Amino acid sequence: MSRFAHSLAAPYALDALEGAERVRFERHLEGCARCAAEVRALSEDTVRLARSTATPAPPALRERVLSAVRTTAQEPAPARGPVPRRSAGHVRPRLLLVPFATVTAAAALVVAALFAVRAHQTQDELDTARDRAREIAHVLAAADARATRAADARGRGVAVVASVSRGRAVVTLSGYGEPPGDRVRQLWLMRPGAEPRSLGLFDGDTPLIASGLSRFATSLAVTVEPGGGSDRPTTEPVVQLALESVGFGE
Amino acid sequence: MEADELLELVAGGDQKAFEELYGLVSGPVFGLVRRVVRDPAQSEEVAQEVLLELWRSAARFDPRRGSALSWILTVAHRRAVDRVRSARAAGERERREARRAHQPAFDQVSEEVEAGLEREWVRRCLDRLTALQRQSVTLAYYDGYTYREVAERLRLPLGTVKTRMRDGLGRLRDCLGGAA
Repeated sequence: MSRFAHSLAAPYALDALEGAERVRFERHLEGCARCAAEVRALSEDTVRLARSTATPAPPALRERVLSAVRTTAQEPAPARGPVPRRSAGHVRPRLLLVPFATVTAAAALVVAALFAVRAHQTQDELDTARDRAREIAHVLAAADARATRAADARGRGVAVVASVSRGRAVVTLSGYGEPPGDRVRQLWLMRPGAEPRSLGLFDGDTPLIASGLSRFATSLAVTVEPGGGSDRPTTEPVVQLALESVGFGE
Repeated sequence: MEADELLELVAGGDQKAFEELYGLVSGPVFGLVRRVVRDPAQSEEVAQEVLLELWRSAARFDPRRGSALSWILTVAHRRAVDRVRSARAAGERERREARRAHQPAFDQVSEEVEAGLEREWVRRCLDRLTALQRQSVTLAYYDGYTYREVAERLRLPLGTVKTRMRDGLGRLRDCLGGAA
């Protein structure tokens, strides 16, 4: 079987297998490193055949595609091991989005983090905490409040409860511990066609309340920045979360 | 920016990056789809599906498996081939081909406009293959025939066609060599 399957590498690279045969060969590829390498090499050849046919696309096609993109939702990234990056030595975890069935679970997380009482809190700190609790309660109470979270394989992640009508989101990090040195974790709003906008700095695991979110907000990102935060992200996000499942981006 | 970087931004929902990516890949995608599908209206339809799929499934791109352009053109080719095969199964293609016999062939027109270096180089290299190697490769890749259909059309045993395909692509690679 292996030898027979191996001889299908060229027809496969040319897309010259029938549906069922293609599926069988793809299954074979998963366990045959040599075949996978050969297919990769042959595919670079077929790409040359492809590129040589380049023709300007009709202008009307551009309009149709770009306007469709504005109203088309994207699929979340598939679960997959870390992707090696050519430019940098570190890896960015690909996250699996796990929409919560209800707001309650995320709300519990937010509240637990909020009421993690620290010793020697001053009156000011307590006041701040109370104000924050009130703001959070308002987001949770919104009729359109929805929750989502993303977690990586090590259980580190971010939970969000958001309300489009109030333009607010409560964002909680968990499992990351303190950032190294005097560095801070900064929350960013990512919007199509615009620079990331800072939504504030995280203070440990205390929830951060992001306000002024337009309904076009597409995703949130968290980066590690020098103390005091940055005007724009200077590192790769440690975590990113699409806001589509909580009603934004449309 | 290159397609690889843009695709990563697109996966994060960046529409500006998508516009830039469109500028880079729409020509190769449309040209390839049109070469395989041939019918202008259907080619536009398939190219639109492919380009929109890029937006939707950008997160599926795995840089460990090759370059972004290679992935994009692989997706485009597969969609084009699927369309041609289902049209062929429905007998539409034969009827369209009969109609087109009375129109100027698309390939002649486009080749006058697009005498790109890459096109010229690939054509020369294809000319260096043996006739059976060239036909095996182009009937499959540009006309969307399965290797079984290629074997029938060329009246060759299946094993021979597979070998011609592999040798044809190998010789093509040697000829194209460092010409980027």
